[in-house]
Amino acid sequence: MMPRVSLAIKVPAVAAVFLLAVSLFLSERVLSRLAEIQTAHLVTLTRVYLDGLSTALVDAVLREDVWEVYAVLDRTRQGDGDLTAAETIVTTPDGRVIAAGNPRRVPSASMLPADYPAAETLSGEIVLREPEARAYVRRDVLYNGRAVGAIHAKLDISSLLDERRRVLWTLVLSNAVLTLILVVTAWVTVRRMMRPVAVLAAHLEAGIAGEVTPIPSPAVARAGHEFRRLFAAFNTLALSCREREDLIRRLADEERLASLGRLASGLAHEINNPLGGLFNAVDTLKRHGERPLARATALDLIDRGLRGIRDMVRTTLATYRADGDGRTVDVQDLDDLKILAGPELLRNDLVLIWRNGLTGPVDLPASPLRQILLNLLLNACNASPQGGTIEVRIAEADGGLRLEVADDGPGMPARAVAVLVDTTGSVTPFGRGHGLGLWMTGRLIRDLRGTVEVSRSPSGGALVTVALPLDREGGIARVA
Amino acid sequence: MRAVRPTSRREVVRAIGGTFGALAAPRVLRAAEPDLRFGLTPVFLTSDLELLQRLKSRLERATGRSVKLITRRTYQEITALLVSGQLDAAWICGYPFVAYRARLALVAVPIWKGRPLYRSYLIASADRSAAGLEDLRSDIHAFSDPDSNSGWLVTAAALAEMGTDPAHFFRQTFFTYGHRNVIRAVAAGLAGSGSVDGYVWEVMRETEAELVAATRVVQASAWLGFPPIACPIALADDPAIHRLRHALTDMENDDDGRVVLSMLRLDGFRAEEPSLFEPIAEEMRKVRGGSTG
Repeated sequence: MMPRVSLAIKVPAVAAVFLLAVSLFLSERVLSRLAEIQTAHLVTLTRVYLDGLSTALVDAVLREDVWEVYAVLDRTRQGDGDLTAAETIVTTPDGRVIAAGNPRRVPSASMLPADYPAAETLSGEIVLREPEARAYVRRDVLYNGRAVGAIHAKLDISSLLDERRRVLWTLVLSNAVLTLILVVTAWVTVRRMMRPVAVLAAHLEAGIAGEVTPIPSPAVARAGHEFRRLFAAFNTLALSCREREDLIRRLADEERLASLGRLASGLAHEINNPLGGLFNAVDTLKRHGERPLARATALDLIDRGLRGIRDMVRTTLATYRADGDGRTVDVQDLDDLKILAGPELLRNDLVLIWRNGLTGPVDLPASPLRQILLNLLLNACNASPQGGTIEVRIAEADGGLRLEVADDGPGMPARAVAVLVDTTGSVTPFGRGHGLGLWMTGRLIRDLRGTVEVSRSPSGGALVTVALPLDREGGIARVA
Repeated sequence: MRAVRPTSRREVVRAIGGTFGALAAPRVLRAAEPDLRFGLTPVFLTSDLELLQRLKSRLERATGRSVKLITRRTYQEITALLVSGQLDAAWICGYPFVAYRARLALVAVPIWKGRPLYRSYLIASADRSAAGLEDLRSDIHAFSDPDSNSGWLVTAAALAEMGTDPAHFFRQTFFTYGHRNVIRAVAAGLAGSGSVDGYVWEVMRETEAELVAATRVVQASAWLGFPPIACPIALADDPAIHRLRHALTDMENDDDGRVVLSMLRLDGFRAEEPSLFEPIAEEMRKVRGGSTG
């Protein structure tokens, strides 16, 4: 109906309209009853007045005695009372004036003035003309049952109309005051009643935007009985949400530690492999160091082994730098990931097809980008069967960067897809050791305002496609 | 009912008799002789009960007889009572005096501003510019009384001289049976003009200035004999009438008398010859000789 108007306005408005209707109805009743009473009173007074006058006048009217008629009118005019006759005129039956109380306006021997009601007006009947605040009445002067003349009186009813006006204003004013009091009371009451709703709404909105916080206990204590139950329920919900977030965070930390352990063991393995060769070369140098060929071969061996170790260490340092260095990504940063994934590839005897289409630096932060690609790569390694093939494509496309990781595994389970592509943050990782990496990857992609899709690769495995827009604003997206 | 409440002070002029009868006047003498019946016409101005009380005391003391003051609504009633001998004396108008000249005798005549004379005024409302009788043609005209000289006869005679009469000259006429009422009728606009006693108009100019200020004198008549006190001619030499005449002419020498005179704005009373009223008789002949008024 009126969705944009708040209850604090709507309820007082409805109350005001209701009261207005009631007061209109009552005022109309009061005023019309008052008018009836006034008219009845006026008729009674007029009857008394005209009875007296016609008795006093009958002889003079019969004789058409101008002076006597005037003298009687003059005397009655001096009488006071509720009734104010503005003008009294005595005429013959055919409307010729014998004498009037105000002879200057209505001279004797003239005809009855035109503002008086027509002669057909019933004797004793009162004609009200409110616009001019006058009432007109006519009364036959009877002698032996025959009308020998008529009294015409014009009455001043302005005091009656004033009284009606005063009553009207009293009604209007008191109703206005009552309505105002009611509206203010309704407004205050509804606002007080709606305050807990506003508190709840604010907490819900804060929960959607970020952290869900319970309603503080003073606010709960202030609320009424119904709202206290509602608040308690909300607080329980808020607490369980918070516990679940904490749990996820802990699991993520554990997963990170676990993958760190795997990486560390891979790293140890990678260093350990050349170490045997190096020790052999050192042994050769000790024994056959004086032989130039042997020495040269051994040194070369040592050199290559140390280089391999150095590359490994450097790449690991670059990837797992504790703080985001905010550096933009270069071709080499991504190529280094081959080295990091190397142990996993070896372990499963996997073939990696690496197609890096980048030719120079791209305006995207290096650290999160490398983590995204490494996680997807390691995930593909996990999913791939022994001796499988993994294909990675990196290319600039549509003003952004496009990453594709395909494997020939069994395809990504629906739940894992949901964790990865979820944009609302409402899907939480599930299970042990699965999904947390994808969940973190999804968050990193969202932080870079990117999108991710999962489809089928040509070989029937999973094909994960990530599209990242270039960081046009120059700012560096926050890395969780 | 308001219309018939007791007469106000202003209307006692017409109703003195009714109220006077109720007065418990001190009897100076025992009622060995019958009351002296004294009639009053609406010539009277002041309607004060005090005036009547003092007049009665004055007359009783001076005549040695108990006095009964009698008033009626019209001149005609008092005149009829006087002429028929039902009153011993009465203050009447000059017109009935000359009309019944053969049957009435003068007792005394009031003195106003040093003379036994007064005038009739034609009055109109103060905002009219009429300069004479001719300008009042087709008015509604208020007369005082058909037996009044100043309030009827003077104007009727003037119209007779012009060859017309009130019924034709005026649109409508009516009688108010009182000079004060003529002034009220003209002041209120009920009548366009009126014929009124000049003495009454002048005195009311002091006593009821506001009412009189609404009217103005269009034309004043010649000086005529002031309304006299008369008695039936049969009583002209009666000792009681002599005492009454003395009571009137000697009025300024008595406390009550002085109060009465000052209330009436009169200087005193004087014995006068009937010829004083000849001009009124002349007017009457004009009116009766012409059309009947």
